[in-house]
Amino acid sequence: MIFPFDPLLLAIVAPLAAALLLIAPLPERVVKAIAALGFLVPAVLGFLTWWHYGANLDAGTGYAFRTVYDTGLRDALGISLHLGLNGISMPMFLMSGVVGLAAGLYALQTKAERLRFYLGLLLVMQGGLMGVFASVDIFFFYFFHEFALIATFLMVGLWGGKDRSYAAMNMTIYLTLGAMLSLLGFILIYIKSGAESFDLIVLRHEIAQQGLSGVAQNYAFGLLMIGLGILVSLFPFHTWAPLGYGAAPSSVSMLHAGVLKKFGLYGLVQIAVPLLPAGSAAWAPALAWLALGNIVILGLVAMAQRDLKQMVGYGSVMHVGYGFLGVACLNALGAGGVVLFMVAHGLSVSLLFLLTTSIYHRTGTFDMDDMGGLVKKAPVLAAFFLTAILASIGLPGPGLLNFWGELTIFMATYEHFGWLVVPALLGVVISAIYGLRAMGKVFYGQPSAAFLKHQESNVVTDLRWNERIPALLLILTLVGFGVWPRTLSEPLNKTLGEVYPASAAAVQK
Amino acid sequence: MSATQLALTLLFTPLVSAALIGVFFRRQPAIAKAISLTAAVAIAALASLLIFRTEDFTVTAEWLTIGPLTIKLGFLLDPLSKLLLAVVALVGLLVHVFSLGYMSHEENQARFFGCLSLFMFSMTGLTLADDLIMLFIFWELVGLSSFLLINFYFEKPAAVAASKKAFIVNRIGDFGFLIGIILAYWTFGSITLADIAVKIGADPSVIATSIGLLIFCGAVGKSGQLPLHVWLPDAMEGPTPVSALIHAATMVAAGIFLLCRVSVLMSADALNIILWIGTGTALFAGFVALGQRDLKRILAYSTISQLGFMVAAFALGSLVALQSGASVSLAGLTGGVAAAMFHLTTHAFFKALLFLGSGSILHGTHHEGDIYRLGGLAKKMPLTFATFTIGTLALIGCPFLAGFYSKDAILILAYQYSQPVFFCLLLGAFLTAFYMTRLWTTAFLGKARSEGAEHAHEGGPLLVVPLAVLAVGSLFAGYAWFYPEALRDVPEAALHLLHGEGHSAAMIGGTAAFVVGSALGFLLYRPGSATDFLQTRLPVVYQVLEKRLYIDAAYDWYVAKVQQRLALVLNYVDRIGIAGIGVRGIMGGGSGMISLAARALHTGSLHTYVYWFLGGVVLLWAIVTGVL
Repeated sequence: MIFPFDPLLLAIVAPLAAALLLIAPLPERVVKAIAALGFLVPAVLGFLTWWHYGANLDAGTGYAFRTVYDTGLRDALGISLHLGLNGISMPMFLMSGVVGLAAGLYALQTKAERLRFYLGLLLVMQGGLMGVFASVDIFFFYFFHEFALIATFLMVGLWGGKDRSYAAMNMTIYLTLGAMLSLLGFILIYIKSGAESFDLIVLRHEIAQQGLSGVAQNYAFGLLMIGLGILVSLFPFHTWAPLGYGAAPSSVSMLHAGVLKKFGLYGLVQIAVPLLPAGSAAWAPALAWLALGNIVILGLVAMAQRDLKQMVGYGSVMHVGYGFLGVACLNALGAGGVVLFMVAHGLSVSLLFLLTTSIYHRTGTFDMDDMGGLVKKAPVLAAFFLTAILASIGLPGPGLLNFWGELTIFMATYEHFGWLVVPALLGVVISAIYGLRAMGKVFYGQPSAAFLKHQESNVVTDLRWNERIPALLLILTLVGFGVWPRTLSEPLNKTLGEVYPASAAAVQK
Repeated sequence: MSATQLALTLLFTPLVSAALIGVFFRRQPAIAKAISLTAAVAIAALASLLIFRTEDFTVTAEWLTIGPLTIKLGFLLDPLSKLLLAVVALVGLLVHVFSLGYMSHEENQARFFGCLSLFMFSMTGLTLADDLIMLFIFWELVGLSSFLLINFYFEKPAAVAASKKAFIVNRIGDFGFLIGIILAYWTFGSITLADIAVKIGADPSVIATSIGLLIFCGAVGKSGQLPLHVWLPDAMEGPTPVSALIHAATMVAAGIFLLCRVSVLMSADALNIILWIGTGTALFAGFVALGQRDLKRILAYSTISQLGFMVAAFALGSLVALQSGASVSLAGLTGGVAAAMFHLTTHAFFKALLFLGSGSILHGTHHEGDIYRLGGLAKKMPLTFATFTIGTLALIGCPFLAGFYSKDAILILAYQYSQPVFFCLLLGAFLTAFYMTRLWTTAFLGKARSEGAEHAHEGGPLLVVPLAVLAVGSLFAGYAWFYPEALRDVPEAALHLLHGEGHSAAMIGGTAAFVVGSALGFLLYRPGSATDFLQTRLPVVYQVLEKRLYIDAAYDWYVAKVQQRLALVLNYVDRIGIAGIGVRGIMGGGSGMISLAARALHTGSLHTYVYWFLGGVVLLWAIVTGVL
């Protein structure tokens, strides 16, 4: 199918246009309908571009749906709005659309104050997210990320829960620092490549021809690794994350932990490692050790949490360690694992944040010691939460896609680092421990005294349909791609074959 | 219908059943039961078609390719999978029928039957898997079903703890299993069992001890071998039909099936370690069973012990085959595979019978599980008594019953390979007879010692018919003629061993273990006694056995005192060290700029953020144009 419009541009513009419309004084019902449409369009386009990816693929560049819009900066700065999807970005674009729709639908039923403003900012965030993964131009890739990030800061600061101002400040400092460092890295690549363009296709071509000096590569990859690492909460730059997610409103946690954060890992897989083979080879061992810090140390820290949302936050931060580990393998196998893992992680983590908030609405607390026995009142919520926990710990079945991602990463880790895979696999046990402990404390056993007291004055209901639909959307997407991963892995493998052998050759040179 | 379609239909029938129950009929137990039972009948029918009407086949499909990694999933139907499939389908169906009666007074029956269907799906997939990844996927899914069924009574803290323990302990085994799979892929270039066998057949030097042992870790977890056995006795918190199906007959035997599946990649060193773990488990669990009072817990330790026999059987037979230089192939049934699978099959009959029998007792006595509070059941529950007795005799190796032959094959292999193992296993057989006699005399003979036992009564036909069917199996499953032609390969290969070297020694030893064990049991554990012989005479020994050699206590100590404290310390370091001093220190002391910015940002004002953003953009512009 040839689209009569540019699906990528529409996916970016639709949420932004919806956000603009919300400024107008409209009745609440209309506001909600517009917002819902704004979230729906990117998701539908995500599925459409996935379905028609192969037919639209341009063999020359390896991208599908490619369009260039001149912004007037091309001649001066080599910047143009260049949109397109390759096998690495297509799964991310799709995941971003799905999680965005789920987060949006979940936001529609919240009782947030100034709902109109809240939805507007969430739509801005969604537009930015779609832009991140649709951009071929590194400048716009970065620009869209900032766009979404600022909306994030605002929402945490204005609608956050406990400690929101401290969390927002902490988050802002860290993420701004991370973004600045990675920007410096990108600019360094831009300058040193001599391509006079931020266009990834041009850069890739140019660097393959000319190559970058080893020193420049080392600096650039170091900047990108630390900068993007901070954005993805690489150990020990992670402390903003559990705190921030603990304070952020649930839809924001969903979109940030699920999607926006993947900017960093995606940037490493799509841009940094292929363009900087020598630099990444120099930094990879360090990156692998830090990733183990995420997996083992933060996994144990997650075990110590009493606060459910903090636990989910630490669990999410723990699991991104797998992503870094896959990146550190510097080959197509590791990178492919990271992409599958990112899709799975985005879906399962956002599902966990969604359900955690639904639990909070029923127990009035995040403290797991004050819960217990919730399954009696909310069996569907319990079943969904168990699904989410099992998915996030990579149990084949609900978490089949997570399993494929993790398995591929572990395979790559053993090939590249040998026995380092053993501590990495400890995460399999650690995450089962904290996940099932949470399941037991929240849902099973007898209700705690605090929860009984809470029930005296509050009616505890099961998951309502407006909570079930976004959750189901995430679960079905996760299970569907888990059972049938080829529709993602085939395009992915093709792109990796084009992007990664070149870098392997360059290392030998 | 092609064989592949048949296998797919078989596999997905129970999944559809579970999904239907989960989505639509959670509140209609009657419909849920009907669906689940229909699925169980359909599984039996489809499995029969596969077993009797289908040639052995294998089919694979490429599932995932990334770079050099290609994962193919598929089915493998051969004598091994046919036999296990028959066991799963038959015991599964009987347990479904039994559960209709047993669970009839319970709440949440729909959930129970839904989970049962989920288990049937997982176990069928495991049985038909042709490669390590497919095995692993369904391996994890049976673990999940087991988790869901152990915590069926999820208001009970003990059930919740037991389910969690089962899942996590299994996950520890799977940790090794997964490393083994990864190593196997990079060593053999494939995860498909047939490819691995071809590779090893061409060049046996590629076999690595580590791979075999790591994959064995999975079996250690699932089949309750030392030191990961701790979850299985606790799993008795689940409803008794579940204990019979999952924790006695099928899932726990999956570890044995796994070993038989990967027998080609076992080195002699690996097999020797596996041998001693199996033998040790058989002995250890036999002793510990003497210190337990709960009916189901005794049977659980008995299961662990018998699984130890099977593991040892596998190792012994494979070692004997290696010594005689037998050629390696996936299709060939070595003595180890045959003996292990044969004992698995007979054990499935009599252990499922014993568990369902204890379910019948629990049902008839209103959940009185302490054998010293039972007694006198022989008269009150004659059918249960008769079938339970047959099961007991089959388990303890009474000549001419099923267990006698399958145990004899193992003892002969032990005699051929190693004298110490032979005597250890004889001791294990003696212990089996001893602790089962203790259970049998205490629970069934003498007078009733509690209210529940006083009013014991038989359940309806739904409870009794499955017992009768399993009793027939326990009587005759030791004979090759009992099996249909299509399933006869394994029993025949195992029974063939009975004519091997040392057969008279094994037969005399095995019979002696049975006679001495049960006679001593009769002498020492007097019918009608309300106290335990060991407890009164050797209280120290009894206490050690009752506390299960303090292994569970050691785990509890580790979890509470080491692991949790480490987690808390790391949490403290993370909060205070990294987040507090590290970050704030560096930011505050190192750079006044950022701390100023921090305070400015603290305002939470929209303008500040926007100015920051604009500032960044301008900075970018400046840098870029400056360079130009």
